Amino acid sequence: MNRLYHSTEPQVMDEEMLKQAVGEQSLRDEARQLARQEGVLFKDVLSLRLDFQNIIRIDSLWHFENLRKLQLDNNIIEKIQGLEHLVHLVWLDLSFNNIEVIEGLDTLVNLEDLSLFNNRISKIGSLDALVKLQVLSLGNNDISQMMNIIYLRQFKGLRTLSLSGNPIAEMEDYKMFVCAYLPDLVYLDFQCIDDHMKELAELRYQYSIDELKQQEHLTQVQLAKEQAQQEELEEHKAAFVEHLNGSFLFDSMYAEDTEGNKLAYLPGVKELLQAYKDKFVIICLSIFEYGLKQQEKRRVELDTFNECVQEAIQENQEQGRHRVARFEEKHSLNLNTLRDESDLTNFETKIVEYSENITELFNVLMTLEMQLVEQLEETINMFERNITDLVALFIENVQGLMAQCRDLENHHHEKLLEIAISTLEKTLKGELDEDLPEDVRALFVDKDTIVNAVGTSHDLHLLKIDNREDELVTRTNSWCSHLVDTIHKDEIMRNRRRVKEIYQYIDHMQNELDSLECSEIID
Amino acid sequence: MEVLKETVEEEEAAEQEEAAVRAERSEKMTRPMEVRREEAPMTQEMLRDLEKKLSDIDMAIPEKPLTFTKDTIDISSLPLSYQSNTLKEEHLLQVVDNFSRQYIHLCPDRVPLFLHPPNECEVPKFVSTTIRPTLMPYPELYNWDTCAQFVSDFLSMVPLPDPLKPPPYLYSSTTVLKYQKGNCFDFSTLLCSMLLGAGYDAYCVNGYASQDMCQMDLTRDVCPLTVKHQEVVQEKEKVPPKKYAVKPPRDLTSRFEQEQETKKQKETKAEEERRLREEEAHLLDAEKAKTDPLHGLRVHSWVLVLSGKREVPESFFIDPFTARSYSTQDDHFLGIESLWNHKNYWINMQDCWNCCKDLVFDLGDPVRWEYLLLGTEKSHLSLTEEEEDGMNDDDDVEKLGEDEDKSFDMPPSWVEQIEISPEAFETRCPSGKKVIQYKRAKLEKWAPYLNSNGLVCRLTTYKDLECTETLEIKEWFQNRGDMLELRHINKSTGLNIDYFKPGHPQALRVHSYKSMQPETDRVMEFYDTARVDGLVKREETPQTMAEHYQGRSDFLTYRHVSFGDRVKKVALNSAESNSRPMVKITERFAHNPEKPAEEDVAERAFLLSEERVQLRYHCRDDHITASKREFLRRTEVDSKGNKVVMTPDVCVSFEVEPMEHTKKLLYQYETMMKLKNEEKLSRHQAWESELEVLEILKLREEEEEGHRLTISIYDTKRNKKSKEYREAMERVMHEEHLRQTEAQLDYLAPFLAQLPPNEKLTRWQAIRIKDDCLSDFQQRLIDKANLIQARFEKETQELQKKQQWYQENQVTLTAEEEDLYLSYCHQAMFRIRILEQRLNRHKELAPLKYLALEEKLYKDPRLVEFVKVFDTRPGALAKVARAGNLPHSQASVPHTPSR
Repeated sequence: MNRLYHSTEPQVMDEEMLKQAVGEQSLRDEARQLARQEGVLFKDVLSLRLDFQNIIRIDSLWHFENLRKLQLDNNIIEKIQGLEHLVHLVWLDLSFNNIEVIEGLDTLVNLEDLSLFNNRISKIGSLDALVKLQVLSLGNNDISQMMNIIYLRQFKGLRTLSLSGNPIAEMEDYKMFVCAYLPDLVYLDFQCIDDHMKELAELRYQYSIDELKQQEHLTQVQLAKEQAQQEELEEHKAAFVEHLNGSFLFDSMYAEDTEGNKLAYLPGVKELLQAYKDKFVIICLSIFEYGLKQQEKRRVELDTFNECVQEAIQENQEQGRHRVARFEEKHSLNLNTLRDESDLTNFETKIVEYSENITELFNVLMTLEMQLVEQLEETINMFERNITDLVALFIENVQGLMAQCRDLENHHHEKLLEIAISTLEKTLKGELDEDLPEDVRALFVDKDTIVNAVGTSHDLHLLKIDNREDELVTRTNSWCSHLVDTIHKDEIMRNRRRVKEIYQYIDHMQNELDSLECSEIID
Repeated sequence: MEVLKETVEEEEAAEQEEAAVRAERSEKMTRPMEVRREEAPMTQEMLRDLEKKLSDIDMAIPEKPLTFTKDTIDISSLPLSYQSNTLKEEHLLQVVDNFSRQYIHLCPDRVPLFLHPPNECEVPKFVSTTIRPTLMPYPELYNWDTCAQFVSDFLSMVPLPDPLKPPPYLYSSTTVLKYQKGNCFDFSTLLCSMLLGAGYDAYCVNGYASQDMCQMDLTRDVCPLTVKHQEVVQEKEKVPPKKYAVKPPRDLTSRFEQEQETKKQKETKAEEERRLREEEAHLLDAEKAKTDPLHGLRVHSWVLVLSGKREVPESFFIDPFTARSYSTQDDHFLGIESLWNHKNYWINMQDCWNCCKDLVFDLGDPVRWEYLLLGTEKSHLSLTEEEEDGMNDDDDVEKLGEDEDKSFDMPPSWVEQIEISPEAFETRCPSGKKVIQYKRAKLEKWAPYLNSNGLVCRLTTYKDLECTETLEIKEWFQNRGDMLELRHINKSTGLNIDYFKPGHPQALRVHSYKSMQPETDRVMEFYDTARVDGLVKREETPQTMAEHYQGRSDFLTYRHVSFGDRVKKVALNSAESNSRPMVKITERFAHNPEKPAEEDVAERAFLLSEERVQLRYHCRDDHITASKREFLRRTEVDSKGNKVVMTPDVCVSFEVEPMEHTKKLLYQYETMMKLKNEEKLSRHQAWESELEVLEILKLREEEEEGHRLTISIYDTKRNKKSKEYREAMERVMHEEHLRQTEAQLDYLAPFLAQLPPNEKLTRWQAIRIKDDCLSDFQQRLIDKANLIQARFEKETQELQKKQQWYQENQVTLTAEEEDLYLSYCHQAMFRIRILEQRLNRHKELAPLKYLALEEKLYKDPRLVEFVKVFDTRPGALAKVARAGNLPHSQASVPHTPSR
């Protein structure tokens, strides 16, 4: 140990060092003896001290999954790294090191107390993940920009901050500025901030802070709005009818359709297109509403099912618990009498009786479980039937509506073709008086070209509609099958767990009995 | 009256129909005389019966005069309205007499009406005017039940002089209240007055009732306090089975067997019921007293409350003696002659062969109820809708005509306002005590603060009808310092239960015990919110103590301690240390939601004698078994003599989901060390609980002996402190008053003294006195001014002398002398200035003072009549001027010498 303290050699964190540190955890004599005897698992360690070790690189810490407190002060660490796995860390001390940049803390969401005192940090940043931060120590660093303080506004729980020994602490307005921009702060540079100071600061920076607040508010509102939209979209997606509450599908049909867009310049097509769009959107909307309604129906169905299953399981568990409790009562009595029993024959009969009791309990518990399994199977099957029916109905109806869309498209196509051909005739006759754009005019060279153009547009539209329909159907079906699968799987898991639990319990009881028997025989 | 004549025709028809029935009834009604004659030879038996009955009701009858006669009433102090009739009342009496004559003529077979009995001054008064509707100033007396209870408590019952006739007198309610006793008519008159005042539609009833009712004999009634409230178990509405509810497992038991079983059970149940019923019937037979020979003839008066006002949903009777309400169909009420309120008088024309069960209380129906006065508010004639619609118009017209002609207003009540003093209201029962005998129960009531231990009510329940074997006693207390509210003593089991109101120093709520000795069976319940440790209940038996907790931060809900036998040891310091050894401590905890279930201890048992600790953990939501752990604390020594810290067999554990770290010895060791500490704590707490029990018992004993009563700070009569304070305040006020009168000195006294005493002042004398007084005052003012002037001059002269002396000897003076001189000058100057100021002030104030005195003299009651007429005040102003024109010194104030 002495070697560690006094050597100037940079050290690397290795297994040995960590073991030593763990072993030195403050324990009392007897416990330390035990710890040495058994060894301590790294993942059970809650706090670790690694100060004055001349460590240059943080390493080998991934075993300490449950670490709450880590001290790495007074080393020569240059880079924060290797802490990604310590997600439960609450307290981290990295003071008196050679760190230049704050980094590598993005996974430590539970961190409340962070000390980076006496390092070479010049900019506060990369702390966004530390939402629970309460104490931040950044004294004796190279921070020179006041703007760094505004960054700290996002930490709503921050109460203690130390920045003394930084270039900004020398500025005349430093205290005022910090107090004004961090109004929830209680301690600054190891001193309690008095209310008078707070008031003064508030008055002084009122305008700039108000502006800042306004901005923050705006961004927040924006964020909330976006989130709401996102949620709504999610909801629609869950109903498999996203983007059907408007002309989105229609627009997408024409988005890549160059021919169609060109044809829109023909006389009369515009009105036709408008009418078509209106009708199309109406159908889309009806699909959308129907989808939401069906989604609600499915949700209710699922909720009732879950509730009922839970109830059944609860009731069954209650019965099981009751049985076990009754058995246990009897059991403790039995054990006591067995211990006191001196007569061997008596003892044996009692043992036999007792083991019979255990078997009985086992049977009872297993019967209960079997019963539940049967009941649940029936219910699950019923639910499966119902939900599949629901989904099938939904798909069928949506397909019907989609067919209407297709009909509309066909109709539109015919009309368009008519117009196109008549226009072509007119063009050929030279009667066309309207001025069409050049590329549109290029289509009207012969019948094949124009028919082809209209045809491609039509095909594209149909493809879009088909795609949307396919997507809806496949997603709905996959959701349904996935749901049913999970339900089955969960039920199987539950059953296995319960059976395992029962076996375990019975084994334990049997073991206890056996050990008693053995000891008696030995005696 | 005409109305009566109108009804005569109708009645005749009805009469013929009912002739037979009526004859029967009249027979019954005239029977009392016959009864007496016929049963004359049986008097001995009758007498014995009567004697027995009288001995039964002995409790309710005051020892003093059995009859409440007018001899005992001091009529001299009664107001005039009691002693005479007004014109209107005379007129009313004539009307009533006329009515009565017609009534006797038309219904000769009915008993004469109870219309205008004489009052305490022998003046006949119509019964309706004896009712004086009064709303009592006590909020407790706003509802009918409390009103009735008050009347029944406040008055003691005097039986009617003749049980078969209405009383010969009807006293005013004020007299009845004053003497606190009365017969049933007094009771119902008072109660009716109060109920009418409170807005009820109440009537006094003159009728016939059962013997028990007339004699206020409750020995055959079950005490209302003993009737247990039947808990209405609200059945939960069955939730309709949900769509996916699982089917119940198939029932494999034989249905046939079940049926047989239920059949058998039914049979046994029926058998049991039959037996019970028989027993009951038997008991009833035994209880049923011999039938009353005067049944149906005993006159009684009670109160009828009709539905409609004050949200009374249904009409009912109130027996004023017992304050109980009865339905109008009750068996106790055998018939009604008439009823009245403060406005009118109605005679029952319906047949009472079936008690009051068939009576219709529709007072607007002239066939059923013959009214005495017309026009005063025809009581709600409840017609069916169509009838009303059809009849409304002509009815109104008729009414209008009638109203003008024949309406005769009831004169106002001759009775003085009914007043109950707060003291009387609080004392309630005459001399503060009342005893009521019920069937198998005795109820005693006391006024608050009458008993030094706060006892206000005691209910003794007996096993037998003769009331010899006590079953249980319930005692209610009020205003106890220890908040004791109710004590329930069960004589058969010897169990006492004390109930406390919130506020006991140890937050006690219920204490049930058999003896006050410690370490016996007892249960204490507490107001857990008032206690720091959240203790709800502590149950004790000689060997165990169980405590229930609620809302603790350590989630402890239950602790059970069993004690072993006390070790007999030589008493070294016997007082403290010889407590019972604890054998086992079991503690249960509620689930702490912040901890995972498998790490949260549900129950831990310290088997202290075996050095064993058993832990049972909470059960996880989806499990049916819970983890267990058992520690055996033995210190072992290995072969080398070293202490073995921990061996695997110290801890036997069963884990539902085995975890790696819990298998470690270190973990087990730490858990065990923690448990060791907790064991110590638990032992300590159990020991403290024992101490607390002792303390509470001691406290209870002290409280029982001391029984201090609390007195509200608003109770100025009883609260000594506030009484003292009030008296002190009064004294201060009195003294203040005295001082004020003293301050008004008599200016005229010396001048009046000069005149011969006991003679009226003449005007001349008065003016002279006034002038004398003024001139005297003026003289005084001038004297004072002169005095100040003289002093001023003297000071000035002295100063001048000194100055002269100084100027002469200025050269020879030493520094000291010069200083002395200077300081003298300074002081003299100061004195002169002050004198000058005083003089000036006096000059300013003197005329004002003079004027003030003059004013006062003018207003003086002794002089005012003489002076006022002749108020020129000659020379007054001149005198003032003279007083103001005081000699003023023109002597110049010498200048301060300067060096």
